[in-house]
Amino acid sequence: MASWNRREMLGALGIGSASSLLWAMGCGAPAKAVALAPQQASGEVRGWLRDAVARLASKYPTVHALAVTRRRTTGAVDLGGTGVARARRDGVVLTVRDRDGVWREQVTSDLSGSGVLAAVRLLAGDVAASNVQLPAPPPAPSAPAKITDLELRNRLDAIMRNDRAATSRIVYASALIDIDDVTVWSIAPGHDREQQLRRIRQRATRAAWNGTRPIVSEVERGWTGAIEDGGLDVAAVSRTSKNALALMTPGVFADSEATVVLEPEITALIIDAAVRGLLTTAALRRPEVSSRVVAGAQVAARGLTLVDDPTARGAYGGFVFDDAGDIAAPITLFEDGRAAGRLIRGRRPGHVGVLESGPSHLYLAPGTATPKELLGNGWLLEGKLDAVFDPSSDRIVIGAARARELIKGNDTGRVYANVELVGQLGALLANVTGISKDTETVIARDEHSGEPQWTSITAPWVATRGFVRARRRPS
Amino acid sequence: MITRRALMSALSSRRIAEWVVVERAQEIAIADEVRPLQRSDVRSRFTIVVHHDVTRGRGSAKIELASLYGDASDVADQAIALAEAAIGPTWRSTPPAAPAKVSLLDPTLERVPLGPVASAFLRTTVRPPGATVSAAIEIMRERVTVNASSGFHTGWTATATNASALIAIGGRSLEVTREARTLDHASLRHGLADATRDLMLLAQAAPPFAGRCALVLQSDALLHGGGLGVWSVFADHANAETERQGLTRYRLRSPVAPGAEQIADPLTITSDGALDFATRSAPVGDEGDAVRRFALIERGISVGVGLSMREAARRKTDPNGGVRNLVVKLGSWTGALPARRTIEIRRLRSLSIDPYTGDASLEISLGIERDGGTERVITGGTIRLDLVGALARAQRSGTPLRRGPYSGPASVLIDDAELVA
Repeated sequence: MASWNRREMLGALGIGSASSLLWAMGCGAPAKAVALAPQQASGEVRGWLRDAVARLASKYPTVHALAVTRRRTTGAVDLGGTGVARARRDGVVLTVRDRDGVWREQVTSDLSGSGVLAAVRLLAGDVAASNVQLPAPPPAPSAPAKITDLELRNRLDAIMRNDRAATSRIVYASALIDIDDVTVWSIAPGHDREQQLRRIRQRATRAAWNGTRPIVSEVERGWTGAIEDGGLDVAAVSRTSKNALALMTPGVFADSEATVVLEPEITALIIDAAVRGLLTTAALRRPEVSSRVVAGAQVAARGLTLVDDPTARGAYGGFVFDDAGDIAAPITLFEDGRAAGRLIRGRRPGHVGVLESGPSHLYLAPGTATPKELLGNGWLLEGKLDAVFDPSSDRIVIGAARARELIKGNDTGRVYANVELVGQLGALLANVTGISKDTETVIARDEHSGEPQWTSITAPWVATRGFVRARRRPS
Repeated sequence: MITRRALMSALSSRRIAEWVVVERAQEIAIADEVRPLQRSDVRSRFTIVVHHDVTRGRGSAKIELASLYGDASDVADQAIALAEAAIGPTWRSTPPAAPAKVSLLDPTLERVPLGPVASAFLRTTVRPPGATVSAAIEIMRERVTVNASSGFHTGWTATATNASALIAIGGRSLEVTREARTLDHASLRHGLADATRDLMLLAQAAPPFAGRCALVLQSDALLHGGGLGVWSVFADHANAETERQGLTRYRLRSPVAPGAEQIADPLTITSDGALDFATRSAPVGDEGDAVRRFALIERGISVGVGLSMREAARRKTDPNGGVRNLVVKLGSWTGALPARRTIEIRRLRSLSIDPYTGDASLEISLGIERDGGTERVITGGTIRLDLVGALARAQRSGTPLRRGPYSGPASVLIDDAELVA
């Protein structure tokens, strides 16, 4: 392996250099796009949208205009250098509902007076503005502070310096800062809203060989607000290196039913799969789901309370109003283990995609135990890989990077890579015997048709029981 | 405002070894019965590939642009900066070759407004009696124009459709999706009919017993998740870079699995990026490299890999556009089942494939277990397979199936697999 060059190593690991990390995220565009162009100034955009709403209202009973201007700044550093990329995306979605109840949407990436007017004409023809009453415009939110390339590079270097556990066995190390600045306008008869959000995520990646396989370990933090409000500290980055360097126990993992303690990343994986598979409007179209998730039904162990709260302070998935224009408010999904609500708020990927219901910031209420008190005999599952949930049969398969053996709460030192927790979701939730008082927040920036969807989950350590098996076929 | 010409002009005026600009002008229409919704989207996207030579070697950058605002000069500068951050060993691109001749445009979608076509597709979708069906379709028409620093210039118009439906009978439901280049191929008729039959079977399904068994993978299981399904393992392993590094089991001029070349009807797979109306076909790739048809596996022996511009230069050969649509040679299996326990898998819940070893886990959604004279419907359980070896030695049916990027047998028989409950 020593003869490999860096590019080959990166390709082999399926990860990229600072530069390719940036391409992989579709970054790269005007470097000077941070300042708002004059025509995009808030008042002007609002004027175009109000005019569009007034025109469309003369023909359609229900009208909504949504506009977004989004700037992404991404910096990455690895062994080969530092790169900074900036990208920009504008969009307008004009939505109307005709008298037959059919929704019609016209989408354009041309956020200009003529672009919005052209979209109106495609939707309604050459109509004059009606005298629809629109509320007074809200005060424009304050613009977020500019972040220079130099500041970004300094912050990336600081993340790299926070690693106290790196050794020569680490063959790849990188850090990433990804900033989404989004301004959204939502105007309809009865409301005129504007929100400005800065979402920041930071990630550190480490890779090391373990036998013939590379082990890649990552840590990620994300929040909404100022860049100073959070970050990857020494403990988080050092733990990433330790996880990449952990030597796995040789031999075959013995599949068995066992007590498992799930670290927050794994708990979050289960919550995410459960919410998307059971509680969104798309999921609830399935008869086997809608018949099961009945309000008041006991679907999880007592003590489990799950809330989708986009108003949580600093939440990466949070917002002021959703993409249907409705003011954000918490929705309780499970209350003490009972089904209490459904996710009906509208979100559009990148604020311009097709409207769909989905989670924003999920919060699983903490318990009273410390994480250490949850450990008994069994396995501690760490490092999220993936989750497959079939809502029609309730079967869930959760991939974890490591399983640590526990006896009487102590780590025996035996640790196996790539395991799966398999079973019925209902049983996993019903078998919960302990919830920690400490929590961690996991974030995701998923792409749907090239547009981002920001979500976050705050979850505690959870003790439950399930079938744990090796992911790979014994050779 | 960023335009293709402005980008070309900005890139030409800088000292860049090579560049390619791809412009995609897209019209998209979506019709969805659930909301109900009719949506229309008009947009332009650019892909810019830059190869920048410095004394230390060559760096490459690929940029995707989704906004037309800004200055093309800034984009060019950004591309150079990114390329300079990724300097590797020097290589030289091969001269441009003739684009592949391939049909990607559904003639019925060439000039019509797409919105009404999408609505008409949903209106005319045949619903099985007794079933509740909610369908949606996305239709895209795009004009692609490619310009390169070498003076190479080409363009084409393509269409793409993605139809999906949720079908429910009683208390159960299944999802049916079809991706295709033409409306005809996107038809949900056969998919809905199959789903109806499977929903009836699901009603009587029971959990399986663990143990070894023979396995039949029917078309929906074979192509689970859209795309290439289980056959994607060969596309992953035929990546030239990982093959050269020895990270996969795929070795050129060696059997793909022990004994794979000695069976009665050895496996032959061809990558065909010039297959008319296949979803991964294109005249040229994003780097301006001509797409070619080439053999991946011939009678059980691996003979070809997907070659990017860079990898082709390293191997002193021509690029082939990478692995695209897979054409798997039909077999002679008539559907006769072995005497021992056999599980016919009709649908999967999930398919996960280890990219390094080809080991796979297949979660069963619906299967039919046959053992001697008994037959029962099962749901649940996991099949663990060495997918490369299993498919290399599988018996392939003679019934052809053409779906998305796949053309090959509609089903396969795998002699030995392990089912874990």
